[in-house]
Amino acid sequence: MKLLPVAVALLFPFFISAQNGSEQDVEQGRALFRSNCAFCHGLTAGGGRGPSLISAKLVRGSTNDDIKNIIRSGVPGTSMPSFENIEKDDLDKLVRYIRHLGGSNVISVPVNGDADAGKRVYGRSGCAGCHRIGDEGSNFGPDLSRVGSGRSSDYIHQSIVEPSADIPAEYEGVTLFTKDGKKITGVRVNEDTFTVQLRLGNDRFALFNKSELKEVIYPKQSLMPAYKTLPAKDLQNLLAYLDSLRGQQTSGADAIKTKGIK
Amino acid sequence: MRRLALGLLALASLSAQQVTSDRLVNALKEQQNWLTYWGDYSAIRHRDLKQINTSNVRNLRLDWMYQTGETGAFETVPLVVDGVMYFTAAHGIAVALDARSGRQLWQYKHAFPSGRNATAVNRGLAILGDRLFMVTADSNVVALEAKTGRKIWQAEMAPWVPGTHYASLAPLVIKDKVIVGISGGEQAVRGFIDAYDAKTGERAWRFYTIPLKGEPGGDTWLGDSAQHGGGPAWMTGTYDPQLNSLYWGVGNPGPDLFGDVRKGDNLYSCSLVVLDPDTGKLKWHFQFTPHDTHDWDAAETPMLLDIDWKGKPRKVVVQANRNAFFYVLDRETGEFLMGKPFARQTWAKELDNKGRPILMANTEPNTDGNRVCPGLAGATNWMAPSYNPQTKLFYLAVREQCDIFYAAPPVLIEGKSYWGSVFRGVTDEKESGSLTALDPATGETKWAFKYFKAPWAGTLSTAGGLIFSGDEDGYLMAFDAATGENLWKINTGTRLVTSPMTYMVGGRQYVTMPSGGSILTFALPQ
Repeated sequence: MKLLPVAVALLFPFFISAQNGSEQDVEQGRALFRSNCAFCHGLTAGGGRGPSLISAKLVRGSTNDDIKNIIRSGVPGTSMPSFENIEKDDLDKLVRYIRHLGGSNVISVPVNGDADAGKRVYGRSGCAGCHRIGDEGSNFGPDLSRVGSGRSSDYIHQSIVEPSADIPAEYEGVTLFTKDGKKITGVRVNEDTFTVQLRLGNDRFALFNKSELKEVIYPKQSLMPAYKTLPAKDLQNLLAYLDSLRGQQTSGADAIKTKGIK
Repeated sequence: MRRLALGLLALASLSAQQVTSDRLVNALKEQQNWLTYWGDYSAIRHRDLKQINTSNVRNLRLDWMYQTGETGAFETVPLVVDGVMYFTAAHGIAVALDARSGRQLWQYKHAFPSGRNATAVNRGLAILGDRLFMVTADSNVVALEAKTGRKIWQAEMAPWVPGTHYASLAPLVIKDKVIVGISGGEQAVRGFIDAYDAKTGERAWRFYTIPLKGEPGGDTWLGDSAQHGGGPAWMTGTYDPQLNSLYWGVGNPGPDLFGDVRKGDNLYSCSLVVLDPDTGKLKWHFQFTPHDTHDWDAAETPMLLDIDWKGKPRKVVVQANRNAFFYVLDRETGEFLMGKPFARQTWAKELDNKGRPILMANTEPNTDGNRVCPGLAGATNWMAPSYNPQTKLFYLAVREQCDIFYAAPPVLIEGKSYWGSVFRGVTDEKESGSLTALDPATGETKWAFKYFKAPWAGTLSTAGGLIFSGDEDGYLMAFDAATGENLWKINTGTRLVTSPMTYMVGGRQYVTMPSGGSILTFALPQ
């Protein structure tokens, strides 16, 4: 290390170097993938927090250079970081590995179900009470305007029926007990040694000095309820609807569109 | 008017005093000054100043601020010599200021040859006579006139090859020599410590931290792996004038995470080496982490203390190591006296009676990743600890954070990093940290003030009963040295990544902390 390795690693993950040779390249690409990409895209690239790279639809160009650009530059407005320090050889191997996964013509596989019916399920289940699509809904939970391009359908499914399985850091809940006996729960927007800032369900901030608090608790459970009793058909339609959300609903969503995997 | 003129004359003559080698040896007799990077040769970072103390520190406020215009990590620790402050910033900048007002006296900007993208941080200066010494990111040592900032000489530590050697530390002056070390532990270098003649810039000696085949210790490396074995010497050492011994922490072996290509103990990586500063000859060494594969270098401060050890006074060198153990060694002989964990660690069952770790299973980096605490950045790091002779406690920044370590065979390409795979912070528990007060005679924690995040800022101790330190969210804080109670804080607006220092000019005590691109200096209201 020499500077600040954790921070450096987050911004510019380091890559192993590797030798030439096609099959070897795929293997080395796999090793690169496992240590750098699998965390979000899944060990076998089937998706997770990040989209599946086997069935992803490449809407803004599908050449190797396009994919390399995504890796190097990241996708602004999403959790895809920029891997700008990756060596050229390693980038080639990663792309070869990604190509190897889906063949040279990666095709988007749509989710079965009736997206229009799913939209109605979304409406009557109260999802908009916490989530936002385009300009409508609440900022309390994750914005779903382009959830179909950013998340695999398996991940979305899990998020609906078992939301506590993976809670993104920016939506972690926190419960505060004030010295005057109040209990307040919200999304933790920021926190440091002496202060904590929450977003509440009513879309307001709650801002505290910790000296005003008796206790700060981090629940392991997601703030989102688990929709386990949703009828299977409704769930499938809802998944089809969410999968169809690709950020094209409003000009606001367009503004965050960048070229790359959508 | 006449009186004012006389006063100015007195100040002028004061600032014209030469900083002799003798003054450096006796730096602690000049409590108003801060003559070396660590404040003195022993690196206790304690000042017998008490104008700012536990009862009035709540009134401490920003007195002046100097903006360098630089961005990035500001890791310097200023010197203060008779009312003038000297410090460095990234991009080869050195600055002299009026330490009372922050007004600039001069600024030096190193002229890098075109095309050199040399952006490493810089940690500060050394002074001798009327000369200042700094290193540059492209591995040069530069001597400057203290009065003007004009360059006197420049000496190359290593040829510039992008992605290999670089330099970032504050030099250490001993007698007539300027002692520096090289950085580049991840870049397949072979580390060294150099001494240069302060007058001429000629190299007086070089000590390679990594011995080759046929040299003592060379058999602790597989094949010719020592040629690229790392072991940078990227932080400033300490010095005992009585023993004439130089103490220097050596960095990690390379490749960092993949140890199979360099089987063996890999001396003198992750070791304390003790040198004769006149010749650069090794007196003794102690290796904290043999065959390290977690980047736990030994660059942390080797602090020199005279303490009661089992009822008798003993000269010791102590180090809170990145591997989460606090070590006490005899400073004269190198005898291992004690090693105790000061933070959570999941890699060593214990240390044997020579101080060698007995490893736990499944702690090596591998292709699927192994979770180990502390993480790669260590349970502490280069940020300075301090020691208060009144409380007899050692104060350090502790990082509680774990990583998953991966390994894969790297290919050696000059100019490319040589990690041997990657590391990633765990996501199922939050990092945290603390300011911790340890009894160096027992290794026991006396108190700890918990931080929300793992810190990167060091500590300062004063006779005002205070410990100053900073956290990762930008708070500069003052604590009661005896109890750990937080007495004062200010949010400086960005993460703090160096150590505070204090000085006195014109009867007024100041506390300085670099933050962002600014030097922030605090004092009590007048």
